[in-house]
This record gives sequence, C-alpha cells and structure tokens, in this order.
Amino acid sequence: MTAVTFDVVKLAAEYNDKTPSEILALAIEHFEDLSISFSGAEDVVLIDMAVQIKADIEVFSLDTGRLHPETYQFIEQVNNHYNIKIDLLSPDPKQLEKFVHGKGLFSFYQDGHQECCGIRKVMPLRRVLSSLDAWITGQRQDQSPDTRQGIPVLQKDNAFSSGDHMLVKFNPLAHWTSQQVWHYIRENDVPFNELHAKGFASIGCEPCTRAILPNQHEREGRWWWEEATKKECGLHINNIKK
Amino acid sequence: MHITMVKKIMKDGSPCRKCANVINQLEGSNLLDRIDQIVIADERDPNSAGMILAKEHNVDLAPFFVVEEDGQATKIYTVYFKFVKEVLAEGVSEQQEVKEIMEQNPDIDYL
Repeated sequence: MTAVTFDVVKLAAEYNDKTPSEILALAIEHFEDLSISFSGAEDVVLIDMAVQIKADIEVFSLDTGRLHPETYQFIEQVNNHYNIKIDLLSPDPKQLEKFVHGKGLFSFYQDGHQECCGIRKVMPLRRVLSSLDAWITGQRQDQSPDTRQGIPVLQKDNAFSSGDHMLVKFNPLAHWTSQQVWHYIRENDVPFNELHAKGFASIGCEPCTRAILPNQHEREGRWWWEEATKKECGLHINNIKK
Repeated sequence: MHITMVKKIMKDGSPCRKCANVINQLEGSNLLDRIDQIVIADERDPNSAGMILAKEHNVDLAPFFVVEEDGQATKIYTVYFKFVKEVLAEGVSEQQEVKEIMEQNPDIDYL
C-alpha cells in the first residue's frame, strides 16, 4: 500500500488505542520511504521497538553542531548497540555561516531561538522529509500541556506535505507518559543519554538546555529565558457537532 | 481552479491576527484577486462554513486554503507561503516558509 491509499483519518482512529509497537508495525508495513527522527534522548525506545520489526530501520538525527558531547557519544552508542547507522543531518553551511557571521553564536539569548532553530533544525528537517513518505517521532502528549495535548498517533503532516506529496507522521508514543517510557528503558536495558542521569529531562542543544529540579516540568529545561507566546492559530474543530 | 480561503473568528469574537496578516500580505502582493472566495470559520458557530470545511478536511489551523481543480483531488494548504509558491507560483524564500512552519508548529524545534 502506498501513501496515496493510506486513509490517515480512519487509521488514526483505529490505532488510537494500539501499542507503540503496533503503530510502528503499521508504519513499517505501509511505507518504504520511512525514517525515525531521533533526538538523542529517551525517544531511543522507538529505535529499540522498531529494530525488532525491521532490523535495518532508517533513523535520522538533526546534528545542529551545538549538541552536548554526551549526546554525540550517545548517538554513537545507539549506532553500535543496534547495529544501525543514524543519518546525521547538518545545517546548510552557507546559511549557517551567514547567520553566525551576522549575529554571532548566542543571538538566541537576545532575540529568541527561532531563527537559529530554523537554520540548524527545521531547514535540514524539511530537506530530509521531502524525500520521505512517512516519518516517526517520539512526541508525547505529556511533554507539553499547551501544545501537545492533541497529538494523534498518526496524522497527515500538514507542515511538510506539499500539494503533490502527502507526508504521514507517526507518533507511536503519543499516549505514553514519561513514566512509561522510563519503565520500558529500565525493563529492556535500553541505553540512554547520560545527561538524563544529570537531571536533564528534555535534551536539545547545549546552550538552550539545562537540568531541572524535582517537580519542574521537562519543558522548563528548554529556552527558559523566553516567555511562552500566545498561540491563536488552532481551530477547535473538536467542538463541531456531528 | 477554484481557491477558497478560510479565515477564523476567535471565540471572543475578535478576528484571527494571523488571518488578517495573510490577507494584508495577499493584498500587498496583488494576489488577493486570485482568491475566489473567503469564508469564515467562526469558533462560536460550529456550523459556520469555514468550520464545516475545517472538519471536512481535518484541518486544525487557520487560515487555510482549499484548492479545487477539475479532475484532481482537492488540495489543502495550511502554510501560507507554501500555498503562494505552489498554487500562485510566486517566489518565496525558504526562510519565509520555515518561519511560518515554526510559528504554526511550536513543538517542531523540540526535535
């Protein structure tokens, strides 16, 4: 079956209560051009589950050039542990050079992280996704009460689909909690980024990530100097009467 | 080709800022006359034309564009600059597209 005949809405409802492994199996069965997005953190559980279904599953990671040494070491560890080769995606050197030359290495502390993330993460992501029919993320609803509560287990990726090319996004861990993820890691001896043992819950680039204290939400460890912005673009279609 | 733009009225009755910005950009680029109709998705009225279109096409962002063409599947665009580039065939920079994608997907940078 190809993406063209893949009924996203119907399958999202059908797989809403399935396990992450079952959702991964659906993705792997239906899409050849498919890859897991690995952040170098606890989403390693996706790789652990996926290699049991397809040993040579494709995985990519966004190498922003600013990750912690521990994260680079962990990526190598995951490669060796699962006998895979994670595709490390780098920013476009010309765009990065222009940005750093113009604004320096820490402009995000003054004018926000979006421009830097755009060049170091989103542009390389966009390029790789243009060659895929589906991708798999470790996004979970419990990661952000504000923006991730509505994440389905699979969806059409409206941000990166084009008029002629539908991209499907799978979020097999959407309904899992952080506690379930860590239970899986411990039960299955899954390797993990040692930054987690140092108090880092959410792991990104080194200048923009910090350890958190007990009972702080994991998002408080990212871009802590910025205020949450008001978001108003969502349509609350769930309220529509059937 | 028939192009419908869906813009939103928020729950408090105020217009959606992003929708207004997009209309301003269309006007400023002399592209507004290429939009065949503009319908309202009123969050206070689930039966408003735009809310029905949003439900029909499983869209949860506004504004969005519905592009219908004879003999082809209906195409939905939630990213304005992608719509401008692909449908209106106007030049758009990668920075413009990425900025809009990030604004609409505040979690994308957590990857």
